[in-house]
Amino acid sequence: MRKLISLFFLLFVFGIWVQAQSTMVGGVILDESGEPIIGATVLSKESHKGTITDFDGKYQLSIEPTGTLVVSYMGFITKEVAVKNQTTINITLQEDSKSLDEVVVIGYGSMKTKDLTSSITTVKSDEILKNPNANVMQSLQGKVAGMQIISSGAPGASPTVRIRGIGSYPGSGNTNPLYVVDGVFYDTIDFLNPNDIASTSVLKDASASAIYGVRAANGVVLIETKSGHKNEKAKIEYNGYYGVQVAQNVLKMANSQQYTNYMLQSGSAANIQSVEDAMLRFGRSRVDASIPAPNTNWYDEILRTAETQNHAISISGGTDKAAYALGGSYFSQDGILDMENDFERINLRAKLDFDANEWLKVGGNVIISNIKAHGANNSAFQVAYFAPPIMPVMDPTNTEATPTAYSSAETIGFRDGKNPMVYMDNTNNLSETKKNLVTFYAKFNLIPEKLTFKTTFSDNFTSVNSRNVNKAYYLSPNAQRKDDSVTKNFSKYENKTWDNVLTYKDQFGDHSLTAMLGTSFQDNSYSGLWAEGLNFPIDSQQTWYISQAEDVPSQSVGDDGLHQYAMSYFGRVNYSYKNRYMLYGTVRRDGTSKYQEKWGIFPTIGLGWVISEENFFDVPQIDFLKIRASYGKLGNNSVAASSGSNTTTVETVALNDQLYSGTTTSSTYSELEWEEIYETNIGITAQAFDSRLSADMDYYKRKTDNAVIYVNNPLIGGSVRKNAGTIENSGFEVALSWQDKIGDFNYGVSGNIATLKNEVTSLYGQQYLDGGSAEFRQRTILGESLLAFYGWKTDGVYQNAQEIADDPIAVANQLEPGDYRFKDVNNDGVLDSEDRVVLGSFMPDFTYGLNFNVAYKQWELSVSTYGQSGNKILNRKRGEIIWTNDGNIDADLASNLWHGEGTSNKYVSAAGLSKSWNQKMSDYFVESGDFFRIQNIQLAYNVHAANWPVMRISLTAEKPFTFTNYNGFNPEVADGIDNQTYPIASTYTLGLNIKF
Amino acid sequence: MKNIFTYFALGFGLFVGNVLFTSCEDKLDEPAENQVTSSEIDYSQSQNMIQPILGLYSKTYAIGWEVLPCLNVRGDDVNHGGEGDQQAFADIDNYIYDNNFWMINSAWEAQYRNIITSYATKDQLEAYKEAGADASKADQYMAESDVIKAWYLLSLVRNFNKILIPKASDPSLMLNQSLVSQTDGYQYIVDEMERVEDQLPAVRPGERTDIPGGVTRYTALAIEMLANLELNNWDAAAKNAGDIIGSNKFELMSDYYQLFKTPGKLCKENIFELQYSDFGTGSGDNKSHLWAFYGPQGWTPKITGAGSGWGFWEPSEKYIKFMLDRGEKTRLQTTVLFTNRGIADLETDSKYATLPSWISNTTPSGDVINDYARALFASGKHYLPSDQLISGRTEYGSNKNFTMIRYAEVLLSYAEAVVNGGAIQNGMSAVDAVNIVRTRAGLSKLTSVTLDDVLNEKFAELACEQGQRFWDLLRYKKYNELSYDGRTFTVDKEFLPYPLKQIDSLPVLAKEVAAETAATQKSAQ
Repeated sequence: MRKLISLFFLLFVFGIWVQAQSTMVGGVILDESGEPIIGATVLSKESHKGTITDFDGKYQLSIEPTGTLVVSYMGFITKEVAVKNQTTINITLQEDSKSLDEVVVIGYGSMKTKDLTSSITTVKSDEILKNPNANVMQSLQGKVAGMQIISSGAPGASPTVRIRGIGSYPGSGNTNPLYVVDGVFYDTIDFLNPNDIASTSVLKDASASAIYGVRAANGVVLIETKSGHKNEKAKIEYNGYYGVQVAQNVLKMANSQQYTNYMLQSGSAANIQSVEDAMLRFGRSRVDASIPAPNTNWYDEILRTAETQNHAISISGGTDKAAYALGGSYFSQDGILDMENDFERINLRAKLDFDANEWLKVGGNVIISNIKAHGANNSAFQVAYFAPPIMPVMDPTNTEATPTAYSSAETIGFRDGKNPMVYMDNTNNLSETKKNLVTFYAKFNLIPEKLTFKTTFSDNFTSVNSRNVNKAYYLSPNAQRKDDSVTKNFSKYENKTWDNVLTYKDQFGDHSLTAMLGTSFQDNSYSGLWAEGLNFPIDSQQTWYISQAEDVPSQSVGDDGLHQYAMSYFGRVNYSYKNRYMLYGTVRRDGTSKYQEKWGIFPTIGLGWVISEENFFDVPQIDFLKIRASYGKLGNNSVAASSGSNTTTVETVALNDQLYSGTTTSSTYSELEWEEIYETNIGITAQAFDSRLSADMDYYKRKTDNAVIYVNNPLIGGSVRKNAGTIENSGFEVALSWQDKIGDFNYGVSGNIATLKNEVTSLYGQQYLDGGSAEFRQRTILGESLLAFYGWKTDGVYQNAQEIADDPIAVANQLEPGDYRFKDVNNDGVLDSEDRVVLGSFMPDFTYGLNFNVAYKQWELSVSTYGQSGNKILNRKRGEIIWTNDGNIDADLASNLWHGEGTSNKYVSAAGLSKSWNQKMSDYFVESGDFFRIQNIQLAYNVHAANWPVMRISLTAEKPFTFTNYNGFNPEVADGIDNQTYPIASTYTLGLNIKF
Repeated sequence: MKNIFTYFALGFGLFVGNVLFTSCEDKLDEPAENQVTSSEIDYSQSQNMIQPILGLYSKTYAIGWEVLPCLNVRGDDVNHGGEGDQQAFADIDNYIYDNNFWMINSAWEAQYRNIITSYATKDQLEAYKEAGADASKADQYMAESDVIKAWYLLSLVRNFNKILIPKASDPSLMLNQSLVSQTDGYQYIVDEMERVEDQLPAVRPGERTDIPGGVTRYTALAIEMLANLELNNWDAAAKNAGDIIGSNKFELMSDYYQLFKTPGKLCKENIFELQYSDFGTGSGDNKSHLWAFYGPQGWTPKITGAGSGWGFWEPSEKYIKFMLDRGEKTRLQTTVLFTNRGIADLETDSKYATLPSWISNTTPSGDVINDYARALFASGKHYLPSDQLISGRTEYGSNKNFTMIRYAEVLLSYAEAVVNGGAIQNGMSAVDAVNIVRTRAGLSKLTSVTLDDVLNEKFAELACEQGQRFWDLLRYKKYNELSYDGRTFTVDKEFLPYPLKQIDSLPVLAKEVAAETAATQKSAQ
C-alpha cells in the first residue's frame, strides 16, 4: 500500500522523465531484505534531474561520470552514491525506522503520521513476528506505551488487553478493545495468524477512536491484513518456526519434611493423624523416620515440556488492474499441562482488488479460520497446589480405585482425594471454532481523485462446537465421579455489517481538506443449544453423543439466543494549512437496541501545530516538532445489556419425589444508560539528530461518567449494576527511540514508559461501594482506585505471652503467641471494622518496555523487555485455607512459619493459619505484583547468496526470564485475584523465512 | 456520461439509504431474546398461578449447607467436629464469634434472600389475583409465602436479636429501615401467623395434593407456637399447640429410627420439612442437600461405594451420658453414630466403664463407623443408611429429607407451655403429652412432670436437630448448662454478631454496633 501510494505521489509531484545525457548508469535499488524497490527516485545531485525505478527496481540515468546519485524512497533513508565512472551501481536502501510520511489507517480512511493530532501507535509486522505467539496482541506486550497486556498461559488463549487503564467496572462487561480487521469489528482476534497481519495500529485516545463511537470506549486496535500491490510480480514467502515451551517460575510448594512439620504444629488432631496414617500406608522416609516416605512434587507430575510450531505460506502480486494476496497458515501449540491440551489453527485467506473501469473499483476479502482446541482442566492446577506431598501419585494398595490406581488423600484421613491426576486423565474438553470473515466492497470514483463513494458489506460467521467429556472414576468415597458425562454446546454467532462512506478530498493552495460522511448498520445475532448425556454403555470416543447416553437429565438441556442491532451515522473533517496547522474533527451518532436508552452522539476535535515548519523555528538538531491536542467523547456499549425490569426464571423442586417446575421473580434489576467517556490528550511528536532520535510524549485524562458499577444489594447478597460513579484514568506516556549505524554496525535502542492513575471521583453521593467477596473485601472508595483491596494491616506477630498480656486487643480476642498483631488504626483499643485501610490496587502505577537491537552484516540480535510496578495481587490460594485447611502450602510460607519466640515476624504459627483472626483480609494475603521480564531474545542470520532465495534463520527465546517476589505462579493476574492461573511458559524456537 | 452516472448514483444511494436506514433504525426497538420480563407474563392464565409459589419452595429447599449448622451448633447437645478445619465454625460452638466469618454472613443473606423472594412471590400472586384467578387460592399461596417468611424470621430473631423486617420485595428499602427489638420481632411473627392461618389448608403437609409436603395451617400454628414460647405467652402457645393436637391430623411415627430415614419422608409426624429426591433413579436429575457435612469420615458402608461424610456434626458426650443415665436406647441409638474411639473415650469415665451391649460402631442398618480423627461420634439423625440409597447413587444421604418441625416438638412445647401455666387444651395434660413422646421412645410413662422434666424430654427427643436445646436453655437462662466440656458461656454470647458485610452496607447496623461497643466500653470502665 505504501509503495503504491508513493508511486503515485512521485508521478504527480515530480513527473520527470529525463532523457539520457552523458554517461548511462544503471542498476537495481533493493531494500535490506533484497527486495527490489519499485518507484524509488534516483536523481543527479548536480542537475536535479532523475528517474524512478521500474517494477523490477531497475533504473537507468544519464549523469556525469563524476556526479553523485541521490536515491530516495518514502520510508527509507535517502542515500548518496558517487558515480566514479561506474556504469552499474546497485544500491541497497535502509528502511527508516520512524517515518513521518508513513500512512496510518484511522478508520474509514487513512492519514500520514505527520498529520495526526491524536495518539496512535503502529507496530510493524516484522516486529510482531519476532515473538512466537498464537495471538498478535501477546506480541505487543511492552511495545505500546499505555497498553497493558496481561498474558495468559493456556494454549491459544487471548491475553487481557487494557488501553489506558480501566474506565469501566471489571466484570460489568467486556473490557477488551475493539478490534477492526480490514474494517470489520471483532471482540477478539485469536482467529488471526500474526503472519497474515501487515500492520497493527493502536488508537489510544478518544479523539482517534471516536469515529468508532460506542464501540471504542476500551480503545481500538486496527489491523490490516496483507495485500498485494498493483504491477508487482508474484512474491512467494514462507515463514515458520518450531519450538518448545517450558513452564517458568514454577511455584515451590512445601516438601514432605516442611509439610509434616506444619501438620504436626497445627494442633489439629485430624492433621496429626493424617501424618501418622501416611506413614502407615506409604512407609517412613529413610532419611528421617519421622516423616512419611513419599515426597511428591505435584507440579512436576502435572507439567510437561510442550511443542509449538507455525508455518505460513503466502503469495501476492498484481497486474495493472488488479492486486491479489493469498495465504495459508498452520499454527499449533500444546499446553504444558500433561493432558490432552492443545490448540491448532488452520487459516486461509484471499484478498482481491480490481479496477473494473475508471469509475468503479471492486474487491473482496475472505478469511477462513479453523481452530481445534482441547482445553485444560484447570482443576488440576488448583488441586496440585493443595495436594499433600506426603502422598505418592500411585497407590497400588488402593485396589478399589478405577480406572487407575492413583492414591487418595482420603485414605489418610483427608476430606477428599486431593489427587490432580484424575482431573487430567478423565477430562476431555474439545472445542472446534470455525470463523468465516467475508467482505465485499464497491468503490465509485464520482469525481476523479476527489469524490469517492464506497459501500462495504461484510458477513462474519462463527460457529463454536464444544464437547466436554468427564469420565467416571473412583479413588475413594469422596473422590469419585459416579457418572460419565458428555456435554455438548453448539453456538453460532453471525455479525453482519453494512458500511457506506462518501469521501471528498481536495487541495487548493496551501489548504488541504478531506471530508467524509458515512453510515454503518450492524446486525449481531447468537444462538446456542446445549445438552448433557450421562453414562455410555459402550465407552469409546465414537459413542460420545447425547443419543448414546443412558440418561439425559432434563435440567441439563437448554438453548439461548440474542439479537442486537446497531445503526450509526458519522462524519469527519480533516484540514491542514501549509502542513503547519491541522484541524481534525469527527462526529458519530450511534443507536443500539441493547439498552433502554437507544441513541448517543459522540464528537471529537483535534488540533496540531508543527512548530518546526515555522520560520522562527531555529533548532538545527530538531528535524520535526509537533504539538497536538485533542478532546473527544465516546460511549461504551461493551457493558452487558440490562433487563431494565424484573425477570422471571424457571425453577424446579422435588415434591413427594416428583419433579415440579415453578418460577421465581427477581426482586432487583439493572436499568442502564450509556457509559460516557471524555478524554483529553496533549502530546508532542518530535524527531531529531537526522531522524535518528524520535520521541512521542502524551499526557491524557480520561473520565468515565455514568460508570456502570456493581452495587451490592443490602441484606440479601448479590448485586445489581447501576450507573453509579465517575472513574478517572490519567497518565503520562513516553516512547523514545534511537537508531543509528557505525559502519556495518547498525544499532537501536527504544523504550517506553506509561504511568497510570486510576481514581474514582464520584459515587453519586456515596462514600464507597463494596466489591470482591465478603471474606476478601475490595472497596471502591472516593479518591482511591477502583476496587482497591481493603482490610487490616498486620503489624508483626505476637512473640510471647507478655506481649499478649500487654495488649488489650490480644486479651479481648483470646490470642496466643504466633498470632498476627493488627494495627489499631484509630487507636481506640478495639480492633474492629473501623481499623481497615486500603491495601493496594490491582492496577500497576507504571509499565515499561525496553528494546535493543544490533545488526552486523548478515547478523541481527534483538532483546526486548517488559516490566510493571505498583500493582498488588490477592494471593487467593493462600486464602483458600478459610474453607479447607488440610491442603499443602507454599514453601516460603512453610519454611518461615512462626514456631517460637523470634522465629518469624512475617508469618503466623501453623496453628494460627487456620484461626479466623489471622484469616482476616490483610496485607498478609495482598502481595506486591511487581515484575520485570526479558520478553524476547532473537538472534538471526540473513542468507544472501547467489541463486538462492533470500533466507533468514532465527533462534528465539520468548519470555525466558521473569524476576518477581510474588509467592505465586505468575505475577500477571488481570483482576489481581490469583485463584487459578495457567502458568506462563518460556518458549524456545528455531525459525526460517524464505522469499522467492 | 459520467456526470449522469454520478447524479444517478447519488440519487439512488440517497433513496436506498433513506428506505433502508429507516427500517434499520426500527430494528433498535426489538425486544431482547430469551428473557422473560415479568411484565410480559400473562396473568390471566390462572392455571400458572401455582408457579411462583413452587419457585419459592424450590428456593427454600435449596438452602446452602452452611446455613443451619452455623445457626444451630451452639447447644450442649452437639459439638463441632474437630479443630483447624473451619476453625471459626468450631469457634462459634465455643461462643467465640467473628463477624467476618463467611458462614454467618452466608446464613444471614440466605435467609433474607428467601424472605425477599417470599415478597416477590406474593407480588406475582397478587397480579394473578387481580387478573381474575381464584382469589382464595391466591390468598392461600400468599399465606404460604408468609409462613415460609416467618420461619426465616424466627431463626433471624433468635440468632441476631434486633433485626430488620422486610415489608416488600425491594431490598434497597431496607437502607432506611430501623431495627426491630426481639420482642417486637417475635410478636410480628405471631401476628403474621394469626393473620394467615385461616387462609391455609387445614391438612397435614403430606396430605396435600397440589403441593405435596407444602406448608399448611398447622405449620403456621407451629411457628406461631414457637414464637409465643419465646415471648413466654404460655396460654397462647398452649392454644397453638392444642389446635394442632386437636386436629387429629398428626401422629408420631412409631419407628423413631426410620423417622429420619427414607420411610419418614412426608410421614404423619412432619409439620415442615425440606424435600430432596433422586426421583427413584440411579442417575440424572436430583435435588440434594449436602448431608456429607454431618456424616462420619471414612466409614465402611454396607453397600460398597457409598460416599462418607466430613465429620463436622458431633453429638456431645454430655448428651450421650445424659441419655445413658436415663437408660435410653431408641433415641440414643438413632441420634448417635458411635466410633470405637468414642466408645473407648466414654469408658474412660468410670461411671460409664461398662456400656450397654448394644452400643457398637455398627449401625442398626449394618454400616460400620470407623474411627476418624475429627470427632468421636457422628450424627445419626442426618444419616441415611447406605442400603437406603437408591442403587447408582453414592452421595452421602442422597434422597433424604430434612425435617424442620415435627409433631413431637409440638407435643413437648405444649407440655412446656402448660407447666408454665398455659391453659389445658382438649383435656390433654402436660404429662399426657410427654408420655406420648416417651411411649414411642420405648420409655415408661410418667405420672407428673415439672418444667425440668419437660426440658429434659425435649433434650432427649430433639437433640442435634434444629438447635431447640439451645433456645430452651436461653429461654430459662440455664447458662451453666452451656458451660460444658471446657466452654464458658456468658450472657453476652447469646447472639451472633451482625456480619461485617452487612454492617458495611446497612448504616442502621453500623450504628447499632457502635452503640453496643460504646456501652461495653462504658461498663468496662
